[in-house]
Amino acid sequence: MVPRGTDETNAPWEDVSDGTLVARASDGDVGAFETLVRRHAPLMRAYAARMLGSVSAADDVVQDSFLLAWKALPTLHDPAAVKAWLMKITSRQALTRLRGRTVDRSLPVERAVGPETEPESIVIRNAQLRALASALEAVSEDQRQCWLLREVAGLSYDQIAQELCISPSTVRGKLARARASIYAQMKGWR
Amino acid sequence: MAVTENAPTTLDCGKTIEELSAYLAAGRTPPDPDIDRCPECLSALDGLDHVAQLSRELIIRDIGLQLAPPESWITTIITNIAQDVRSGRSLPLRHDNPAVTLSVTEGAVRALVWSVGDAIDGVVIGRCRIDGDAETLDAPVQVTITASILWGRSPQDLSELLRSRVHEALRKHTDLLVTAVNIVIDDLHKASPESEDPA
Repeated sequence: MVPRGTDETNAPWEDVSDGTLVARASDGDVGAFETLVRRHAPLMRAYAARMLGSVSAADDVVQDSFLLAWKALPTLHDPAAVKAWLMKITSRQALTRLRGRTVDRSLPVERAVGPETEPESIVIRNAQLRALASALEAVSEDQRQCWLLREVAGLSYDQIAQELCISPSTVRGKLARARASIYAQMKGWR
Repeated sequence: MAVTENAPTTLDCGKTIEELSAYLAAGRTPPDPDIDRCPECLSALDGLDHVAQLSRELIIRDIGLQLAPPESWITTIITNIAQDVRSGRSLPLRHDNPAVTLSVTEGAVRALVWSVGDAIDGVVIGRCRIDGDAETLDAPVQVTITASILWGRSPQDLSELLRSRVHEALRKHTDLLVTAVNIVIDDLHKASPESEDPA
């Protein structure tokens, strides 16, 4: 099977908008969907890995998310908003997975990059991001979930509340505590 | 305040980081003049905002660092969805022997339309809809196609070319009584830069 989107005769597909590809995939074109998979999988995998604390679990979850997305594609009202929609599906799948098992976070430990001749601004930025990664690992599971759902997946408080089956004010509280805790741990890198 | 999992940090002005975070979470509404006029609070709010911004950068950095999924990972997705074929309605084909029933699926007709569209340089078909009682021979149907065209090309020329070629292909390969082929150009795309290496 030659995937359509990667076929040489279809070179312009990588520049075709999500909206057109979604319209076409909704009509059953596997090649258009494959282009969407290649386009959005990187963000979904990185996000799910932070959520689950495991790269291989993230790969499973993202794969399942795409299978669900394919089935549900015709119900997507705003094809151009497919990225946010995929992130929502990924969130839901990741949360379901987290509920079903004891958490075994195996993300590689953040280590400092060697003494390369990088500009100071990049060195500082990398150190900041490492500090954030550690801070994120240090907060409680539910706070981390709220944080990632809000700041990375871009869900509203109401949407997060719905996904986690808690009230929006509880979401607000958890986010406030997560933010305060991460902020406190990043002292020195702010 | 309820007992929290993390000890609140109190600023010299008396506000806690958690209070400020809650204020930020509420979109800084209703406005609290005590916070909005306090330099210490404002600086902490900036810091909290920055931490949120950093988390998006963290994911972008993760994307750069992560290994690409093996090609088999993508193949698994594609193989699975390909089994869930969207064939749609059965569109009858004419046959001299009335005892014989021939038909073509709506999905196959769409695939025909896609191939006709893709053969035209600068056209990418989006949606393809067949309206009308397509399951009955000689019932009039209308076909509506949305498409994205290459930036800089003439929408009039391309849509006319697409319309006539689709109409011709449907006449040749189906027994649909097509009364109209409507083309809606609803998107534009740019050409890939020539210099870019194919992924």
